[in-house]
Amino acid sequence: MSEGTVTKLTLVANDGQKMQVDRQVAEKSVLIKNMLDDLGDDAMLSAEIPIPNVNDTVLKKVIEWCEHHKADPAASNDDDSDSRKKTTDIDEWDQKFMQVDQEMLFEIILASNYLDIKPLLDVGCKTVANMIKGKSPEEIRKTFNITNDFTPEEEEQIRRENEWAEDR
Amino acid sequence: LADLLNLCTSQQLSFVRQYVDPLLKKDPFTSLPNEICLRILSCIDDPKVLARASQVSQRWRELLADDVTWMKLCAKHDYGRRMSEAQINAPPTSSLRPPPNPVQSVFEEPATQTFPGASMVASGSSRSFDSSMSTTALRRPKIRSYKSHFKQRYLVETAWKTGGRNIARHITQDQGVVTSLHLTPKYIVVALDNAKIHVFNTEGNQQKTLQGHVMGVWAMVPWDDVLVSGGCDRDVRVWNMATGDSIHTLRGHTSTVRCLKMSDSVTAISGSRDTTLRVWDINTGLCKNVLVGHQASVRCLEIKGDIVVSGSYDTTARVWSISEGRCLRTLSGHFSQIYAIAFDGTRIATGSLDTSVRIWDPTNGSCQAILQGHTSLVGQLQMRGNTLVTGGSDGSVRVWSLEKMAPIHRLAAHDNSVTSLQFDDTRVVSGGSDGRVKVWDLKTGQLVRELTAPADAVWRVAFEEEKCVVMASRSNRTIMEVWSFSPPEDVLY
Repeated sequence: MSEGTVTKLTLVANDGQKMQVDRQVAEKSVLIKNMLDDLGDDAMLSAEIPIPNVNDTVLKKVIEWCEHHKADPAASNDDDSDSRKKTTDIDEWDQKFMQVDQEMLFEIILASNYLDIKPLLDVGCKTVANMIKGKSPEEIRKTFNITNDFTPEEEEQIRRENEWAEDR
Repeated sequence: LADLLNLCTSQQLSFVRQYVDPLLKKDPFTSLPNEICLRILSCIDDPKVLARASQVSQRWRELLADDVTWMKLCAKHDYGRRMSEAQINAPPTSSLRPPPNPVQSVFEEPATQTFPGASMVASGSSRSFDSSMSTTALRRPKIRSYKSHFKQRYLVETAWKTGGRNIARHITQDQGVVTSLHLTPKYIVVALDNAKIHVFNTEGNQQKTLQGHVMGVWAMVPWDDVLVSGGCDRDVRVWNMATGDSIHTLRGHTSTVRCLKMSDSVTAISGSRDTTLRVWDINTGLCKNVLVGHQASVRCLEIKGDIVVSGSYDTTARVWSISEGRCLRTLSGHFSQIYAIAFDGTRIATGSLDTSVRIWDPTNGSCQAILQGHTSLVGQLQMRGNTLVTGGSDGSVRVWSLEKMAPIHRLAAHDNSVTSLQFDDTRVVSGGSDGRVKVWDLKTGQLVRELTAPADAVWRVAFEEEKCVVMASRSNRTIMEVWSFSPPEDVLY
């Protein structure tokens, strides 16, 4: 399939920005990889590939991640059970990579979901999960600027419903 | 904008930050589609985090109510659904028996190595009730959601680790030694060396005392309301535990009855110091067969389907066909008396005074492995799937992998002998003559807790999912402690 010669693909973000990307890097996206498989190399290599759901900034960020992880072994097919089952451990580079504002973080998650880059989607989800962990409901609200829309009565009832999980 | 900010004082900048910070924050669960929100939640394996998250807002609460998250959490915590579905499909007194014709059973299961006649299909291990089956769980209505299932299991697990309630009772005026303890869905049954058998309900309230044996009771086996017992007086007795009536006295053995199991609701098999095993029809009270061959006391036996295996002080174990009443194979190899035996239809495990454990293939009688490590008699032994747990007079408990035929954990459990041992998918509970009861994590081999205050000696321990019964000696009196790890009903629903 991909021989020694590095081939480039041209991706076009939804705001029209074009990006030259190594084929190996772009293929971290299962969406793009499948397109290449389906349409054949010749058609794809000459054409521009539109990525209509992702803007330039986010796409750059996603490509940066793919670039760094291009040598990673392909994820196993049963990733659903395996990779997320273990913990919310994230490797150091990914942790730094994910130190962005929340808007960007969610955009990366959406983009990786659209482009079908499971490992990146997992890192994104784990990052959000880690932001939730170890916090009280009020602290979670603060973290994400969420308004408490429960009535005091509801809040009390829900607190009681969930008491079982607290350490006693 | 940068120029503007450069002009600001730090006070102004701090104001800007207070103003800007919340603007940079966004609720992930309103920004992202449900499918991704659930994916995020599935990264969390601490129920406390989920419980707190559900208190954040209406939206979060709604999302946290999705049972998929809890189903995954059940899987991560290995909380199978056996409490609800599994049990309904497999009633305790399942009448599924192996096919009468051994050849047929081989034919039907060419892939498995099941020993002919000891079909795996049969749910009947020779213990009359699967002790992993909880009476409490049976009483409860079928658990509806994964969330409530998780909650229930989580609370039980937490209680096993740090909580639990216990009721302690003196069960006899004198210092009877407890020789046997059984938990069934209906009863707790205790046999003593003072010839008495006490029957309690599952809460530990005294129901009946079965009196008739004239010497110590050394073996017994319950089956629904029926109890079969035997001991030093050489008689095998059949009782009705509901009424307390003695139904039959089965005579024939010429020395102490040392072990007893049932293969179905009417067939009991006893092993005796007189070197024989006897097969009894407990309905008619007749001895159907005498299995002769051992050269010394029969110390232990186990039944699966039509096969009974016995371990003897003559250092051999024997494999017998119950229906044919004959010995199929003799397993020779131990250098000393066999004290414990386990058999699951595929493998036989024996524990001996020679300090080793041997694994045998019942189909050809070959010894598949010799497990070494104990430094004294191996008197306790339980096998479940590919896991074997053994306990010895050296005070250690060992967990073995039967796939690798190698030790997984070596637990320095007790200062003295291990008198009692049981394990399930989650935990090992051991009791020792050092008076301690210890709960271990089967997977990690870590000590979870020491249950109850140290006693003078622990005679017997038995547990099921939400209950543990400890028979011990305290201040020279025999005491029964019934531990419950069931969450209160009002917490569950």
